[in-house]
Amino acid sequence: MQQIPDQMRQAADAPLDYAAAWKARTGRPVIGLLPMNFPGELAHAAGCLPTLLQEDDEPITIGQSNMFNFYCGYNRSIVDQTMRGRFDGLDAIMFGDHCVQLLGTADIIRAEKPDLPILFNQLCTVLDAGWAMRETRGTFSQIWKELEALTGEAIDPAAAAQSIRLFNRNRAQIRALYDLRRRGEVSISGRDMQAVVKSSMVMDKDEHVSLMDLLLRDMPRQAPGSGDLPIYLSGHMCHAPKPEIIDLIEECGIRIVNDDLFTGWRFVHADMDESLAPVEAMASWYIEKNRSLPCPTRAIKGKDWQDYLLVELENSGALGLVVLMVKFCEPHMYFYPEIKAAFDEKAIPHLLIETEHEQMPLEALKTRVETFAEIVRRRATALAA
Amino acid sequence: METVSEMPNSKIISAGGPKANKLKSTKFGGKLVSEYWESVFRAKEAGKKVVWYNGTYIPPFFHAHDLVWVHGEAWAAMLAARHREIGAQARGEQYGYDRELCSYARTHIGQMLIELDRVRSGDHGMDPDDPRLETMLKLPAPDMIVNAYPYCSSGQQWDDITYRNFGKKVPMFTIQIPLLWGGRPDAGYMQGEEWEQRSKYVAEQLLELTRFLAEHTGRKYDYDRLGETMTYVKKAAELRLEAMDMCQVHPSPASFFDWIVSIAPVNFLPGDQNLVTYFEGVKAEIAERVKAGQGAVPNEKYRLFFDGMMNWNKVGWLAEKFAAVDACVVAGRYTHMSFWQEPQLIDLGDPILGMAQNYLICPNNHGAPIMIGEIEKLCDKFDIDGVVCHASRTCRGMTNSQFLIADSAKKYGRQSMFFEGDVADESFYKDELLNIRLEAMIESMDAKRRAA
Repeated sequence: MQQIPDQMRQAADAPLDYAAAWKARTGRPVIGLLPMNFPGELAHAAGCLPTLLQEDDEPITIGQSNMFNFYCGYNRSIVDQTMRGRFDGLDAIMFGDHCVQLLGTADIIRAEKPDLPILFNQLCTVLDAGWAMRETRGTFSQIWKELEALTGEAIDPAAAAQSIRLFNRNRAQIRALYDLRRRGEVSISGRDMQAVVKSSMVMDKDEHVSLMDLLLRDMPRQAPGSGDLPIYLSGHMCHAPKPEIIDLIEECGIRIVNDDLFTGWRFVHADMDESLAPVEAMASWYIEKNRSLPCPTRAIKGKDWQDYLLVELENSGALGLVVLMVKFCEPHMYFYPEIKAAFDEKAIPHLLIETEHEQMPLEALKTRVETFAEIVRRRATALAA
Repeated sequence: METVSEMPNSKIISAGGPKANKLKSTKFGGKLVSEYWESVFRAKEAGKKVVWYNGTYIPPFFHAHDLVWVHGEAWAAMLAARHREIGAQARGEQYGYDRELCSYARTHIGQMLIELDRVRSGDHGMDPDDPRLETMLKLPAPDMIVNAYPYCSSGQQWDDITYRNFGKKVPMFTIQIPLLWGGRPDAGYMQGEEWEQRSKYVAEQLLELTRFLAEHTGRKYDYDRLGETMTYVKKAAELRLEAMDMCQVHPSPASFFDWIVSIAPVNFLPGDQNLVTYFEGVKAEIAERVKAGQGAVPNEKYRLFFDGMMNWNKVGWLAEKFAAVDACVVAGRYTHMSFWQEPQLIDLGDPILGMAQNYLICPNNHGAPIMIGEIEKLCDKFDIDGVVCHASRTCRGMTNSQFLIADSAKKYGRQSMFFEGDVADESFYKDELLNIRLEAMIESMDAKRRAA
C-alpha cells in the first residue's frame, strides 16, 4: 500500500519534473498557479496541466538579489526558483490573490521571464460586499477569456463542468481520507497526508483520482500506530510546512487528527456546485469556502478563525493546538494574537512554531514540542481526574 | 518612562552644523496639523461623529459630510515623528504582535490597546509627567471604520483588527482598490481596458461609501459639498505640482524632505482655503528661491531620488544626512507619484470618478513596468544622479520592486543604493550602514564625473 503515497510523494517532491514529463507526453501547456484561491479547474478545462507552484528545498541563493530577506520563505523560494530557471517549462502563470508579497514576486517573475505570460486578475477580498459575487464572476470570466487567448482554443463550458466534477471528486476523496484519520480508522503519518494533498495540487487530476481510489480501497483499516496525543495543526496558509517539522511533532508522541493547513484541509474542504454554470460555480466556491473556513486574508464579518478552531478542535477530539506560522506572514501575524487569546481563555494548550525556509534548529524545537506534549498530557489527566 | 530616542554616538557624515535649508513656509502646515489633531481630540465634545480610516486620501468624503476623521497611518507617523511610538509598539508586542508586522499597524493598534486598557480599568495608571499621556489619552473612539487600501494587503487586515478590538460593533466599510497589473495588451499609464474597468469599479464603491456614511449618520449625503471640498483639494494639488516642477532648476529650491512634511496637508487635512493657502505659500517661497538661486542644499552637487516609504522617526535626521554631503534629494516615489498627482482627472461637477482614478494610481498600485516607467520619467525630469532606496523593513508594499527600481537606475547610468530602516520602528534603522553606503555612492558619482 505504501507505494501509493510514495508515488504521490515523488510528484509532490519534484512537481516541475512531473510537469515536464506530462508536457512531453501530452504536448499540452503547463500552467503554474500561485496560491491560495485560484481554481485549477479552469486551466484543466483549457486542456492544460495546472500545477500549484511549491516552495522547494533549495537554499535561497540567487533569489536574494531580487527580494529582501524579510519576505516569507515561499515568496523567496519562488523568486529563487525563477532565477534558477526552474519555471522555464511553464507556459503561463495564473493567480488572483491579494498578498502584497506575492504581488512583488509576480513582478519579479515578469521582469526575469518577460516571455512567460502572467495572467493576474485580483480577486475581490471583501466577501460580504454587495458587489463581491459580481466582481468574482467578472474576474473568472476575464481569466477564462485570457486563457482562451493563451491557448488559442475556446474553452467549452461542458469541459469546464466536467473539470469541476473531476476536481470535486478528488477533493471528496481526500476529505474521505481525512475522515478516516479523524475517526482513528487508518494510520497515516502527517508526512504522507501532506504528500497526498500536495500531489493533488500538481498531478494530472485523472491520475490522482485513480491513485486515491486505490489508496482508499487498499489502505489497511487499523488504529493509528503513531502517538497517543491527539492534536490539531493550524496555519501555513499558502504552502506546505517542511515534512521534518511534521515528523518531529509526531515523534514527540503526538497524533495529528486534523488540520486547517493550505496543504491540507483548507485545500479540499469545499466543492464547487455542479448544478451551476461553471463561472458561477467558481465564483460561489471562492466566496463560500472562505466563509466556511475563515481566512484572514479576506475581509468578512461573522465567523472568526479562532472560533472555527475551537469548534474543530472539539469535533476532532484534539487536546491541543499547534500553530505553524510562516515567518513574515503578515495575515497570520495579525490574527495569531486573537487565536492565542481565545485558547488562553478556554485554557486549551497551544504552541506556536514559527517556520522558516532555511534550516531550523530542530533539536531546540523538539524540546519545546516535548514540553508542550507533556503539558497537554498532564492537563488532560488532571481534567479526567 | 519613555524617552525621546536619539543616537548620540552616531555622527552625520562631514559634520559641521545643519546644512539642510528647509522651506520656511511649511511651518504653516505644522500649525494646520496641530489644529487638525486638536479638532479630532475635541470631536466628541463638538458632537461630531468620528471615522477611523486607513489607506488612501479619502477624507474629502468625510469632510463633505461634516465628520471628524482619524487616519491610522498618520496617527502612527505622528507618534513616530514625535518619538512617542515606543510605548504603543511595546503594548502591541505584549499582546502578541510580531515586530515584523507593519509598524504603522503595530503602533496604531498598540495605541488603541493602551486606550482600551484605560477605558476598561478606568484609570490610566501613568505618571502625570509621562510624555505619552499627551497623545495617548485624547483619540476619540470610532463611530465608523473605513478601509480603502490600494495595493497593500496588510492594510485591510489592520482595520479588520481594529474592528475586532472594538467588539465588532462599529460599522465598517471596506473599499477594494485593486492593483493595476498592466498585463493586457492595451495597458499603459492611465490607459487601457483594465484602467477603465477598475476606475468604474472603485468609483462605484466610493458612491456606496457615501450611502454608508449617510446611513450611519442619519443625514443625507451632500454631493455639492463634496464638489466644493474638491475645489480646494484640486487647486492645492495643482499648486503642489507646479511648485514641484519648479524644482527642476539647479540647485533645487526644495527637497524631498520639504515635500515629505507637506504630505499631511494634501493627504488628510480638511479640503478648505487653508490647504490652498499652504501650497500658495510653498510655491511662492520656491519661486523666490529660484529667483535668488537658493537651494534646499546650499552647495548642491548631487541630485537624488528617494524610493520607499518615509522613515518617520528620522525626517530631520535624514535631511541633514544628505545635505551634509551636498546631496539634494530632489524627488521621491512617495511624494511625487501620489496625493492627487493627476488633478486634471477630477471633474468638480462630478468628482467621484476622478477621485477613484487618483486613488488607483497611488505610487505602488501599478505593476512594476508602468510604475518604474513613471519613476524613470521623474528621474529624467529632475536630472537625477542617483536613486536611494529605503528598504523599510515592515512595509513590503514599498519594498516590492526596489531591486527592479535599482536595476532601472543603473540601466540609465544612475547610481543606486539601499539603506535599512522602517516607517515607524526605529530599531530597524542602521545609521552606520547608511553612512558607509552614502559615502560610497558619493565617491562613485564623483568618479563618474571625473571620468566624464
